[in-house]
Amino acid sequence: MATVLIENLTKVYPPSLNHPTQVQALGGLNMSVTGNVFVAIVGPSGSGKTTLLNIVAGVERPTSGSVRALHEGVPAQIGYVFQEPRLLPWRTVVDNMLYVQDRKSDQLRREAEFYLKMVGLSEVSHLYPSQLSGGMQQRVGIARAFLVNPDVLLLDEPFSHLDSLTGRALRDYLQRIWLQTRKTALFVTHDVTEAVELADRIVMLRPGGVAYDDIPIDLPRPRRPDDPAVRDMQAEVISRFDAMGAAVRFGAQSR
Amino acid sequence: MSDIHAQQGLPGLRLEEAQPVAEGALTLRNLLRRPWFIRLLAVGFLLFIWQWVTWVNTRVPGIDEIVRFMVTEITGGSHGGMLSGEFWGPLSLSLRRYAVGLVIGIPIGGALGLVIGSSRWARGLFNDTVLVLLALPAVVWAFLASLWFGLSSEGPILAVVLTAVPFVAVNLAAGVRNIDPGLIEMSRSYGVPPGRRLVHLLLGGTLPSAFTGVRLAFMTGWNSLLIVEWFGATSGVGWRARFWYDALRYPGFVAWIFLFVLLITLLDRLLLSPLERRAFQWNQQPTLTFEEEL
Repeated sequence: MATVLIENLTKVYPPSLNHPTQVQALGGLNMSVTGNVFVAIVGPSGSGKTTLLNIVAGVERPTSGSVRALHEGVPAQIGYVFQEPRLLPWRTVVDNMLYVQDRKSDQLRREAEFYLKMVGLSEVSHLYPSQLSGGMQQRVGIARAFLVNPDVLLLDEPFSHLDSLTGRALRDYLQRIWLQTRKTALFVTHDVTEAVELADRIVMLRPGGVAYDDIPIDLPRPRRPDDPAVRDMQAEVISRFDAMGAAVRFGAQSR
Repeated sequence: MSDIHAQQGLPGLRLEEAQPVAEGALTLRNLLRRPWFIRLLAVGFLLFIWQWVTWVNTRVPGIDEIVRFMVTEITGGSHGGMLSGEFWGPLSLSLRRYAVGLVIGIPIGGALGLVIGSSRWARGLFNDTVLVLLALPAVVWAFLASLWFGLSSEGPILAVVLTAVPFVAVNLAAGVRNIDPGLIEMSRSYGVPPGRRLVHLLLGGTLPSAFTGVRLAFMTGWNSLLIVEWFGATSGVGWRARFWYDALRYPGFVAWIFLFVLLITLLDRLLLSPLERRAFQWNQQPTLTFEEEL
């Protein structure tokens, strides 16, 4: 069972060309995630969501505080789905998936094919990323993250660059694959609709990277966006967002 | 009349049925769509202009004169007096110098480019030197090489090396700097070891710029070889061209220059371009869409 422990986490970016003054992305964040749960982290721009995932993944260092991602006492294997697919354009789909793996074998190749099939891409393993649409490339990114058999799955707004139809289809794929694997997941989004549809728990961050609210989502799965219970929960979460005074995208009304 | 119009009874409108043209038929319209035919037309046009210039200016040698001269060179026949044809000797010597120069210069340029691209310190140390090398014209190397090595093979080889190094280094350094930082972040987050990152990310990502650098090194190296052999050698293609120039035998001079251009063009068309196409087969337009997959 994986655990992510975040204690007094602070990240301050020094002044740069774009920001003449220093920027506080995270301000003493405390949070813990234990077990096979899907946690959505929502908040407006500048609330440090992506920074938080980057620190958990080891891509960035915190200014102070600590993050520990453990699985049975040892550092957890991380799988990361980024906003963009981040595939090597010069490698085929299957080679992109194998690139992040230490071992190379026919068995692993079969596993890669299995995960590609799970995200609805059964016949593309030999193609290059440029031969796929944006949505298909993002699904390869999701399959790649599951191929490493992650203890902790990080998802950084994976549907934000896609049109709404493609985004909805990908949410269905993600929900289906997560129900089969039940990985500990941290899912960053600023779309409450997505968060309620996918998460067991929603952690709200306010600008400056401070936790504001922690809302359990106790709804049966799989969830559909047109389900009245899902809509009611979305309305409640949105009202709590309004209370925080943050800008929220009212995606639920347009879908 | 077309069937649709006949069925609809539209008066006064007759459509001639288009005659189907086979895809591979040799019509002028089909030929004009083929790139090789357009290229052939361009070459033919240039040759026509050349021939026309020889008609209006008798000091420009005609195509037939040049061909006859080159045949005499290749067959080792007599050019009159004590002069006899020489072809394979100068050509093979130049090609050997060229190959040695590239074999030395391209790896040095490659290593330098990787270092300059990935380290700020190395960029500070080497960048200006490489830019100076890039800016120096080949004729300067010709004179320097003659001063340092006299009339020997080392001069032309050094000139090819010094021309190849900066072109490969500058392009490769730019390639390293242009690698998508998102891919580096992705590799780090998945814990991809440095060795695999070097092979698959760094080398894969810099391949297009490396190719550009190598292609430029091939082109400019060949040019600089000609110039150094012209001024600072007693053998090779450049020397042979100068020999006929000094002897006031312009067909010989033009024939060797023409051969010089032909060789580098063939090298590019028959070796470098196909290699480049093969190496970049990943850079294609989308062939599948989300809708098709659904």
